[in-house]
This record gives sequence, C-alpha cells and structure tokens, in this order.
Amino acid sequence: MRFKKICTQHIGKKNCHTLAFYKKQGGYKQAASALKKWDPDDLIEEVKASNLRGRGGAGFPTGVKWAFVPKDSKKPKYLVVNADESEPGTFKDRLIMEKNPHILLEGIIICCKAVAIEHAYIYIRGEFVFATERLQQAIDEAYKAGILGNNCLRSGIKIDVTIHRGAGAYICGEETGMLTSLEGYRGEPKLKPPFPAVEGVFGCPTVVNNVETLANLPFILEVGAKAYRSIGPEKSPGPKLFCVSGHVEKPGTFELPMGIPLRTLIDKHAGGVWKGRKLKAVIPGGTSAHVLTAAECDVAMDIESLAAAGTMLGSAGIIVMDDSTCMVDALLNVMRFYHHESCGQCTPCREGTGWLEKIVQRIAHGEGRMEDLDLVHDVCDRMLGKTICALADAAAFPAQSIVTKFSDDFVAAIENGGSPAWKRRHLSTVGGGASHG
Amino acid sequence: MAKGDTPMTRWLLNGQEVENPTGMTIMEAAREHGVDIPDFCYHPGLSIAGNCRICMVESNRSHKPIIACSERIADGLEINTDSAVAIEARNSVMEFQLINHPLDCPVCDKSGECILQDHSYTHGPDRSRFVEDKNIRHTKELGPTISIWGNRCIVCTRCVRFCDEISGTGELCVVERGDRAVVDVFPGIPIDNAMAGNTVDICPVGALISEDFKFEARVWNMDRRDSVCGGCARGCNIEVETLDGYVKRLLPRENLEVNDWWMCDHGRYGWRHLYSENRLTTARTTSQELDDASATSTLAHLVSRAKKIAFLIDPFLTCEELSLIHGLSSSIPDSIVGGWLPPKGTAEQFPAGFTISAAKHPNRRGAEKIFGSKVFGKDGKDLLEALDSRKVSTLIAFCGGPGEEGPGSTWSEAIRKARKRIVFSVMDGDWLKGASLALPATAPLEKEGTWINEDGRLQRVRSCWKPGEEIFSPELVRLQQVQMACELRTRCLSAAGVFRELAENTRAFSQHSHSDLGDGGLPLSRRRARVSSRGASR
Repeated sequence: MRFKKICTQHIGKKNCHTLAFYKKQGGYKQAASALKKWDPDDLIEEVKASNLRGRGGAGFPTGVKWAFVPKDSKKPKYLVVNADESEPGTFKDRLIMEKNPHILLEGIIICCKAVAIEHAYIYIRGEFVFATERLQQAIDEAYKAGILGNNCLRSGIKIDVTIHRGAGAYICGEETGMLTSLEGYRGEPKLKPPFPAVEGVFGCPTVVNNVETLANLPFILEVGAKAYRSIGPEKSPGPKLFCVSGHVEKPGTFELPMGIPLRTLIDKHAGGVWKGRKLKAVIPGGTSAHVLTAAECDVAMDIESLAAAGTMLGSAGIIVMDDSTCMVDALLNVMRFYHHESCGQCTPCREGTGWLEKIVQRIAHGEGRMEDLDLVHDVCDRMLGKTICALADAAAFPAQSIVTKFSDDFVAAIENGGSPAWKRRHLSTVGGGASHG
Repeated sequence: MAKGDTPMTRWLLNGQEVENPTGMTIMEAAREHGVDIPDFCYHPGLSIAGNCRICMVESNRSHKPIIACSERIADGLEINTDSAVAIEARNSVMEFQLINHPLDCPVCDKSGECILQDHSYTHGPDRSRFVEDKNIRHTKELGPTISIWGNRCIVCTRCVRFCDEISGTGELCVVERGDRAVVDVFPGIPIDNAMAGNTVDICPVGALISEDFKFEARVWNMDRRDSVCGGCARGCNIEVETLDGYVKRLLPRENLEVNDWWMCDHGRYGWRHLYSENRLTTARTTSQELDDASATSTLAHLVSRAKKIAFLIDPFLTCEELSLIHGLSSSIPDSIVGGWLPPKGTAEQFPAGFTISAAKHPNRRGAEKIFGSKVFGKDGKDLLEALDSRKVSTLIAFCGGPGEEGPGSTWSEAIRKARKRIVFSVMDGDWLKGASLALPATAPLEKEGTWINEDGRLQRVRSCWKPGEEIFSPELVRLQQVQMACELRTRCLSAAGVFRELAENTRAFSQHSHSDLGDGGLPLSRRRARVSSRGASR
C-alpha cells in the first residue's frame, strides 16, 4: 500500500488539535469499531499480524506485549502510556500530543479494548507543559463527547484516562522506572521478572506503550494488518516519525515510511548538512545509539537495517553533526547527560557514568592521557549488561563507538592540550585577562 | 524430585551437581554448599534490591552475568561463581564502588567490620585507575542517635528498606541521582524510632554512624560475648562488646525465633547505668565498707544465725541465682519468698513482627518456674504485708535491674521495716538505708546464667566481665559461698554446674543443659529431641 502520513498529515491546519477537526477527518471511527465490533483476542491478533513494533526505542512487537497480559487476572489491568519523551534528539511524541492528541486517545481506546483495561495513565514528561495542556483539553473534550468515561461511545465499556506529569527524570522513561514513579515512589527501575505485563503499576498487570505506538493503532484497524505491513520493510513496517536535529538546514520531525534511506532523510527532507559543510557523524536513534560515521550513513532507517549496521533505530532521534564538530566535545555533552540522569541505583551505572564524564572532560580540557582511550573502553565494558535497566548501556554505547570511530579527534585533543572549542574558550579567557592587564 | 516433603531442584554450582529446595535464590542455595557469594545490598531480613551488583555470577541462561541475590535456582541451571566472567564482574563492581569512596578507614568506625573492606580485600583491584577528584556528599545528623557520612555511602538502600519494611517508619530515603545519590531524611523529620539503631548495624560501610559509638573503639580491639538483652521480657539475642572491661556497644545477634536480626534502641543504648555514679560497687554495713571476702562472710554469718528469713526476689535474677536462693530458702524452715516487679512500660509492635515487651524485666518466667506462679502475685503481697506489719526479722532483698528507683517506693519503704535486712542492689538508694548489709549486685549484662523470656524460651546470658576481672563477687558465687558456709554444698560451681543441679531438682528444667541451649536458646517446654522421624534434618 502507498505510504500515508497518519500522525502529521493535518499539522499546520487551523484547530487541528480539536475533537471537531479530528472527527471531521474520520476520527474515532476505528475506536468505535474496536469497542463495538472487535473481539479483544482478534484485536491482539490483528496488531500482532500488523507487526507493529514499539516506537519508544526497544522495538518490541506491540501485539506480543499485549498477549503477555494474563487474561484471568482478578486484579485490575492498566495501560501506562509512555509520554516521558526524554531521549536526547527525540521530539516526536510531543508533536503528536500538541498537534494531534485525539489520535493518541483513539489508540488508547483500542488498546484498552484489546487488553480489557479500564484505566489508562499517560505519564507525560514534566517539561511538556503545552503538550500537557493540549492533551488535557483533548481528554476533557473526549469525556464531554462520551468518547471516554463509563460508557465509551455508547459501547457500555468503561475507559478512564488520567495524565500524570513526570518531575524531570530521564530514568522515568524506562518502563519500570516510570511505574515506580507513577506509584509515587522515587523513579527507579525495578528488577525483572516480574515483568510489567504480569505485575506492573500498583502490582497489577500493566501494558506500557509509547505514544507513537498507540497512534498507529487506528490506522492499522482502518487499513488492516496486511496493508499496514506492506508499508516499509516487512519486519518493522509502518509510517514512522523521524526527528532530525543538529547541523541540517531544515531540522524537524518527518513522517516517512520505515526503511527510508538515512541519506535521503538528511539530504532531501532535512535540507542537507547546513552551511554547505560536509557530514561527519550521525547518531541515528537518540544519543543512546552507536554513532555512525559519514561513510556508514548509507543505511535504511528501520530496526533490522540499523541493527545490522551495528547501531539502532531507538527513538529515531537523528542527530546530524557536520565536519566542524569536535567529537570529544560531542561525547562530553552526551556523557554529562547520562551522568546527570543515572538514577544511582546500580553501582556500575552510578559510578561509571560519572567516571566517564570525568575522563572525557579531562581529555576535552587538555589533561587527557593516551591510556584514557583504553580506559573509556574498559569502563564501558564494565558497565555493559551489568545493571537493572539499560541506562548504563545507553551511556556506554555512544562512549565506545565515538571513541573508536573518531579516535583521531581524541588523540588530537590529548596531544594538543584539549578540544579546539575548549582551547578557544580557554585562550580567549586567558587572552582577555591579559589585554585588561 | 523431592526430599521429604520439600520439592528439590538440581542445578550445577561450579561444575558440581547440587540440590536445594525449589524456590531458593542462587545466593542462599550456594551458601548452603559453602560457596560464599559476596553481597552489599542483600540482607536476609529485607526485600531484594539487586542494586549493588557484587553478587553477579556467570550462568548458562544468559550471556550477561546475573545477580545471585534475586535469581532463583532452576533445574538445569549452571552457575559459575569463580569463572573469569564472574571474577571480572565482581572486580569491576569493586572498582566502581571504590572510585568515590574515601580512603578514610583509619578514622572510620566501621573499619574492621566493613563489608566494603572485606570485599575489597577479596574481590577488589589492588589499585585504582581513577585519577579525578572524588565526589563530596553531605555529612549530617539524621536523628538524635544517627548521622550520615555521605561520602562513604554506597547507596545499597539497606537502611532505607529497613525503615520502610521492618520499623515501618519510613524516615530514610535516597536523595539526588547518579553518583550524587546519598541517604537522607525528609526535611524536618529526623530518624527517631525505637529500632533506628539497626540501620547502623546493617550499613555495609561506615556511612551511617552511631553517635553513641562514634570514635569509641576500634572494633578489632573489643571483646565480644554472646548474651541476651535484659531490657524487656522479649530477650533479644545480643552481642556485648567491651574494651578494657567497659561495655562499648551492644549489637543484635540473629535469632529467628526471638528477634530476627534486630534489637530496639532502649536495649541497645540501655547499658549506661553500668557505669552510673550511683552504682553500688562495694559492700557496706551500717558502720563501714567491707571488702568482698568479708562481705561474703558477714552475709554467711547473718544467714546462719537467722531462724527465719524472708526473701524478696527480683525478675532480673537468672534461673541459676534463683535456684541458689531457692536452695537457701528451702533449707531454712518457715522462710517466705515474694517478688517485686518494675512498673509496666509501653509495648511496641513493628510491622515486620518485631516486638518490644511492656514487661521491662527479663526473667519473670524463670522465677515463676522455680518459686511458683504466685511469687510476684500473692506471695509478694503477703511479704509486703508481713513487712508492713513488722513481722519480718531478717530480710534478704534483691534489688536488681537498671533502674535508679530500685524496687520502687512501696518496696523501698517496706524493706526498711524489716529488723535486719540484707540488700543486694545494683544502685545505691533509699532502700539501702539502715541495711545491716548492703551488697553490690550484678546488673543484667553482668550475669552468667539463663533467663526465660515471655514466650517461655530459655536462653543463655553471659557476663560482660572477663573471668578474673570481676569488680565484686557476683551473686552466683556469693550465694554458693554462703551455702558452703552453711554446709549446704561442698564446692562452688560454674553457672552451668548450678544449672545442672537445677535441672536435676526441678522438672521444668530437666530437659536442658547449658551446652544444649547453644547460641539461640530453646523453648523450656521442648520435648527432648528424638532421632528425627523426617530423616536428615538440618
């Protein structure tokens, strides 16, 4: 089937976020059909057949995840929508919630029907003030119109949606960290098993889905699993939001079919590398992904192709860096983030993220030693796969790949007394002081 | 596969096929086979946090090392605790733990009993590759008895989980993130619960510091004795630590039948009376102080000349002391025995089951077994009446316990109505006024013998005094010497020997001996263990 934008097609039009607008475009038809016509098991099978992969970063098949929820549980079941979009370079969920919030609510209704859930929580990033307002407006509209509430679309089914705002922690985007935070505790990932599907929020079976994942559901029901699967590669199909930022002429969010070549995305859609400069590096899936060199950028943007290229689609936050970028500074920026955001629970991550930042900072500030490059590798090895959640891995991946693939920048910083940017700043300070004297 | 009723799981531990009850964690199961997997955040009394990662082992179930504290054994599971992967995993955790941990062991109270030190020695690298500045975190008081030295904190969250799960008070939390994370209290709410002291014990490093013990002693210089707390009828098992003969610290000792791993702060800090200025340490008559030997002979003289003696006992006496008193009282015709009890305190019950008894004495049950169930009831009342109506010519009164009030005002007055009175007392006070003979008595931590707690559990009590370094003759010795002078016995026995006599003479004790009681004691009413019908039991 021909690719069609599903989340962003009406963005820019007046009142595109309102219920009236959404309904005019045929909104909530699929929710109504899910509520009234679809059998829950068939819904799960349909989503399985569509091969919809989670859009949050891990790419887990959504239908399979739903099927993990025990059907005979006597406890209530919950849907927790992961709207804590905090992966650096990612800004797709925010766009959906600000400009097209009803598509998310429709997706929530479909999911709730499939898994027999009566209460959905939207855990939204605290900084998303505007998105929260828009989303709350949409929820209020939906309640008023009888779309949500005790009798959703007059189906007799009860679905409530509650927004919960995060307090500014990256770790609360990790699903179990999100659940502990939602419960009112310090946001820290939990040991698995038990998995959320069996024992999630408040000890009850819980589905955790990303905003964009849920936004795909109405379209899947509209066109059918088979047609959906024909968009993009078979194994990770569908329309996808790609966020391009960094050194491009036209940064932004682009809705394109999965599997679009990275070069096309950068050069055609994002207007190419800015200021006529050359491409140096691309982080393809949020900063947690391995970096790609310019030479490695002939790759298709889908889960399998990027995995084959030794990196990941992740959250599809594409950060483009031109040839003026010092990768030491870039890595320092990334490491500072993970050091700041590590929850501090597991020893390797708590200590390793801080240590990595300190090492990279030393290199950037002209106090690096050649053995530091091996040390970075070793510290990363000692963090990888040794913690409760993947934050340690997320810090180690960029550290290892940037140091390996751009070792020239690091060697230069070590030999020349720091990164070019730091030297410029440092020298200007020193020079400024001298001129005053 | 089942052994007895318990389903068993077969698994491979370091290449050897082993068997454990199904459902056990790898760590617990490995320890049963003598393979020690190190831990920081794991504590058998707390929920599993799985955050320190030191217990990572290699398994055939995952390409990553897994943590032994939370993962459970399964049929066919292969675990290696000493493979290159496992060693590297432990080594890496130790390197991480130490990069921001100060090397202040020489001034750290935990030094010598620090898990981080131990694991560093066994599993850690011998040098650090960390050349940067270490992080600084807060050092502050968390409550009246506890402070945190944040730089040392390894954020294992044992203390936080303790306050959430065991004391149920929830004062502690982790603040900040990453390597700035550190334990703290919520603003304006100090940690001030009756179990708070346990958080210091379970801190694997010297982050939580007891203000009571701070800079008091290097732990390796102290002598340790297993004993029982006499603060209430619960009888928590404790360790008494002394330096140069002085008590420095009490620690709880694991006993799942009594106190799990914990003790309350009333007991923990309730030993200062030992060194009170008010302590009676020398014997005296109305006219003069006596040395220890003359005190005993004076006592023997008074007892042997008395025709009729009334005995006032207290619930702090050990079963052995009570047995000796019983020996004396039954050798003297028409003697009467009554007991006094300290006032009731408040009982406290904690969510995890730990209880503090309202009965602030350790051995009421023992006295009742030896002198009958009315000894603190009707017998006591009768004795009080006899004293009040001045019918008692000679009284031997035991005024033990930690209280500055001694036996309380009623009994203090009553004691003074006996014509001749011999008073054993821990503290100096009104009740000693005009006593023919005032004798120093051992306080709960100074006694050798046994107590019976409120659940009827017979437990060994050991003195914090080193043999040969007694400040005065304990009652156990003095009473036997009196018996010898009265020709009631031929030689002085140890507490175990006196207990043997008690067991021979008193049915209730006949099943027991000191050596049988072991470290954790036994229910008094237990039947003698037969060869177990369930086969090999652990």
